[in-house]
Amino acid sequence: MTLTIVSLLPRLQNTNGDAENARVLSTRARWAGLDAEVVEVESAAELPPRVDAIVLGSGSDSSLDESRGLLLTMHDEFRRWGTEGVPILSIGTGWELLSWGIELASGRSVEGLGILPGRSVPRASRVTGDVVVKSPRFGMLVGFENHARDYVGAEASPLGRIRAGHGNGRDSGQEGAVMGDVYGTHLHGPVLAKNPVFADRLLETMASRAGLEYVAGEQAQAVDAYASAARAAQLAAAGVSLPTT
Amino acid sequence: MRYAPAILVGRLTRFAARLRKPGGGSAVPGLVVNRIAPKYLKRTLSGFPEGLVVVSGSSGKSTTTKMLVAILRAHGVDVFTNPSTANISQGLTSALLEQADWRGRVPGDVAVLEMDEGHGALVMQGVDARVVCLTNVMVDQIDRFHDSEMVASMLGRIAARAGESIVVNADDAYLERLAERVRPEVAVHRFGVTESVLAASPRGLGYTETSDTRLSTGTDVLVEAVDGAAAVLDDAGASVSIGLPARGVHYAVDAAAAYATAKAVLGDRFSSSTAADALSAIPAVFGRGERTVVRGHDVEFVLVQNPASYQLNVDSIAPGTEQILFAIGSDVRDPSYFWPTDAGSLGRVSIVSGSKSAEAALMLAYDGVEIDRVEPDLGTAVDDFLAMPEPASGVKTIVFTADAMRRTRAHLGLAGAE
Repeated sequence: MTLTIVSLLPRLQNTNGDAENARVLSTRARWAGLDAEVVEVESAAELPPRVDAIVLGSGSDSSLDESRGLLLTMHDEFRRWGTEGVPILSIGTGWELLSWGIELASGRSVEGLGILPGRSVPRASRVTGDVVVKSPRFGMLVGFENHARDYVGAEASPLGRIRAGHGNGRDSGQEGAVMGDVYGTHLHGPVLAKNPVFADRLLETMASRAGLEYVAGEQAQAVDAYASAARAAQLAAAGVSLPTT
Repeated sequence: MRYAPAILVGRLTRFAARLRKPGGGSAVPGLVVNRIAPKYLKRTLSGFPEGLVVVSGSSGKSTTTKMLVAILRAHGVDVFTNPSTANISQGLTSALLEQADWRGRVPGDVAVLEMDEGHGALVMQGVDARVVCLTNVMVDQIDRFHDSEMVASMLGRIAARAGESIVVNADDAYLERLAERVRPEVAVHRFGVTESVLAASPRGLGYTETSDTRLSTGTDVLVEAVDGAAAVLDDAGASVSIGLPARGVHYAVDAAAAYATAKAVLGDRFSSSTAADALSAIPAVFGRGERTVVRGHDVEFVLVQNPASYQLNVDSIAPGTEQILFAIGSDVRDPSYFWPTDAGSLGRVSIVSGSKSAEAALMLAYDGVEIDRVEPDLGTAVDDFLAMPEPASGVKTIVFTADAMRRTRAHLGLAGAE
């Protein structure tokens, strides 16, 4: 039994290395002694018969329409994955494309796939920088954001509350959107490597759906020490101090 | 006489800056002169008898500029050029001031300038170039440009200043599209690699979008073969053997760019043997594959500036190299965009260092690289790394980003730390 992680549209949707989260999942699964592989999928025809998790990263605005067109050919699959509890991690414009829609600064809007509640709306200027999010599911999440739009309509089910950075913006004090096992976030890049609790939760879900057990491997613990140091540096840079536990 | 007062003020500013920071170059004199004589930069750049040549692009522009200058000088041309760190407007003016006489006139037949792709479009407003050479469009410095479309449009504005010809990398689809839009009187010269050279680079050459087809032999300048630090160019059907300043296909592409641009600049005066000799005589560029002796050890320095150069340079490190120091400094605000690269071929790294050492270690660990030690303090890391006994295989290799390179040089007391 091999866990299959789909990296969706990596050609268009890997601007900040977000698609590499698929590799983080497969690597951690292997460290736990499970078989796992990443399958890069650029069109519906390339979808493998079994899908255990989906990673959809961020792209540039110039490819929004092309990516949307490709995602629409997998609309039914997305609905099914969402219902069946297949973990889906979507980041940046990948998340926006799974939302109700994207309002562009030009006034034009791009209709989303409607998998996650809410829509993205233009903000006055692009925001880039460290983000710290306190999540009820995963504790403190750290990451980096780089986006020119806010996100509204996820107030009832955010990923967490903002401790530093902008997140969804519009004074919501929130970041991300969650619906079952479908996640949308502005935290780009290797968010699962930097937040191993998040990664392991997805892996536990994947494993239990497949009738397997996931327990983080020894190698993961060694590597997570680097993640801890990186998290500490980023928390310090963002000026967030953690209560001693 | 027009600029004499401004030049005098600029000189005094430079003198004051040197008192404060001995030996250091400074952009401040340029800033001052640009303020009191705003047209000085444009007039001077437009005033060279054989015109202005501009080299820009995401990656490789420093090396290409150095190679081009060497080829032109070997042909007896008096060249004014800028140090690669002075490629935005105040730095350019400071560089001109270094050479200017009291009236602000700068000697030289031709100016060859490396232009930052972000600032170049601005600097070039109102400046006429003769020839513009564009190296490639890569997604780098994500915090700054956000996407490659923006880089391409800025390069388009620089290319639009060319009066005689542009020289473009035909393997870069963005540049090819840009070449289709130049005015009809502007000639387009091309350089590129052959299918077999491209096939030998398993991950491609790092361009955001690689053209579907390669140039065919006969009219342009092609990289025909690369073997370590030696390469063969195909100049309109004739083979030209050259030496490179370091191993790597990207140096061969830079050499092809410089060769093609020199041809465009020199016309009938161009000699392929003079060009080949000049290219082969270029000393290794510090930090881009330079091998040097530090504290009695052979040490190789490898500079990584963006995901593409990271991948190419990491791939060029000989497999089995036993001792590697890997340092990412504060110039990389967010290392996320390095994650699509694969450093697995390094196998093992002795020390990971720099202000982003934890993030770097995390990335290397997921590439399957074994890490012996993480030491955030770069000075300590460099000292301990050099104190390790001579490696049994390979030379001590230091991979660093620009900021970590600067700090390493300063720490070791090597020239040009500023």
